[in-house]
Amino acid sequence: MRVLVVEDEKKTAAFIGKALQAEGFIVEISHNGSDGLLLATTSPFDALILDIMLPGRDGLSVLRQLREKKNSTPILLLSARGDVNERVDGLNAGADDYLPKPFVLAELVARVRALARRSGESRATLLQVADLTLDTITRRALRGSAPLELTTREYRLLEFLMRVPGRICGRMAILENVWDYNFDPGTNIVDVYIRRLREKIDTIEPKLLHTIRGAGYMIKESR
Amino acid sequence: MTIRTRLTLWYAGILCVSTLLIAGLSYREFALEKSSASKQFGSEEAEQDWWEDVVQISILCAIPATLLGLIGGWWLMSKSLSPVAAITEAAKRINDRNLRESLPRTGNGDELDKLTEVFNSMTERLDASFQRIREFTLHASHELKTPLTVMQGELETALREENLSEPHHERILNQLDELQRLTKIVNGLTLLTKADAGQVQLKKEPLRLDELVRESYDDARILAHPHGLKVHLQDCDEVTVLADRHRLRQLLLNLTDNAIKYNSANGTVDIGLLRKNGHAEITIRNSGAGIPPESVSRVFDRFFRGDESHNGEVDGCGLGLSIAQWIVVAHDGTIEVSSEPKKSTVVTVRLAADSRGSLKDFQP
Repeated sequence: MRVLVVEDEKKTAAFIGKALQAEGFIVEISHNGSDGLLLATTSPFDALILDIMLPGRDGLSVLRQLREKKNSTPILLLSARGDVNERVDGLNAGADDYLPKPFVLAELVARVRALARRSGESRATLLQVADLTLDTITRRALRGSAPLELTTREYRLLEFLMRVPGRICGRMAILENVWDYNFDPGTNIVDVYIRRLREKIDTIEPKLLHTIRGAGYMIKESR
Repeated sequence: MTIRTRLTLWYAGILCVSTLLIAGLSYREFALEKSSASKQFGSEEAEQDWWEDVVQISILCAIPATLLGLIGGWWLMSKSLSPVAAITEAAKRINDRNLRESLPRTGNGDELDKLTEVFNSMTERLDASFQRIREFTLHASHELKTPLTVMQGELETALREENLSEPHHERILNQLDELQRLTKIVNGLTLLTKADAGQVQLKKEPLRLDELVRESYDDARILAHPHGLKVHLQDCDEVTVLADRHRLRQLLLNLTDNAIKYNSANGTVDIGLLRKNGHAEITIRNSGAGIPPESVSRVFDRFFRGDESHNGEVDGCGLGLSIAQWIVVAHDGTIEVSSEPKKSTVVTVRLAADSRGSLKDFQP
């Protein structure tokens, strides 16, 4: 899968590129808005990472130009300003995701992957990891044959993690999707919920819910 | 005694004494002339008349003159001192947000006009330096984000390297933890400096506050669980407020999180929402060490931590309550902290209830 990174800060562009390449993406890097726009319109990409503050042409303008030209490549916006309005503006202008700087690299990678897969994604109603199953219609969770008593929030957290088994879910993504927070709450609420969830689902071996320190959380069968 | 009263009394006093003096002297001159003319008549009688007349005329002249002096003086002083009252009022109103409002000048070039001019230029200078501080913090927090992004990325990349020794791995993870803390501080500072500069817009909509309070109660119970604390929801009246959803959730989470962090072992957190005369009143009470009286007024200060010895034990960016205060003020509400040392601390937030919401509530 091909990803275009439009980011003027060279070091940032370099490590984003490196991390995506390590995940098997083919990465192209552009350091200014005009070149980025040209690249994005002349060759096909599966996803675009676009910094908002760019020399030449700013990210939001690149985004608008692409959408005007009916280019529907999934776009993730990066911004060092990180205010709520900018996020809303970006999403309204047709961006698919928004990540404020500084971000956790693993989180960025997870989001880019989600974007690149988005088109072919199916919304399964029965999710399974090892002997943990979740029925999204009846909202029932089972570990083996034992039903799990989950609060609404715990259920949403579990569903969010089980939709991408074996993949890291960053704290920001969890806060956005499970809590609908678009701000940094400055608390360890995610960690505490994960601990609660672990007490409920990981009562037996093998343990399924893993903490990836410095990156986020993951559900998978074995380490 | 005000300057005005003092000056008026002095003025009237001088007027009174000088009137008496003038009256006395002029009468004496007049009487002496008269007595020399009538020396041949009985002089003792004339001497007595002379004194009586002086006293009588003095009273008749001095009382009206003094009264006139008092009234005129009062008026004159009020008129000339009125710019001082204006300056006093203006100085009372001034805070770091309205420094740009300058005082109107009379333009007549007197001492008070000069004072007004100096006062205005002083507030202008203050405004400029406040502005510079705001811009500086805004730029600083912005500029900090690029190196933070790079550091986070580089460290995470280093973490992926194969044949990384276990101690090295651990060291990188610790650095990443500290970097996350730094990121929280920078994010908090950015938010506050933007708020100071009036750059944060709120999206206000009618919200059911009781639903938000219930939700934060659920979160608080989970957050309190590892600390062995009990959380109670005491009252939860149905109230609608006109507010920004995300900001109110942030406020409630900040306050409950604080109530949990600064608590004693096996302590309690009581959350309540009451509807009182057109206001929604949220109270969050926690048991715990409380705040010493001398620190209560400073809890909203940025980076203020009450008890220096507890700094290491509680994690947080030190900006939670400052952000909470900003959110409440931005919604035209009030926030208060009261504390009984070694017993409990209560945070009270008052927000105006949305009248449209309340009308709907009363419908059968």
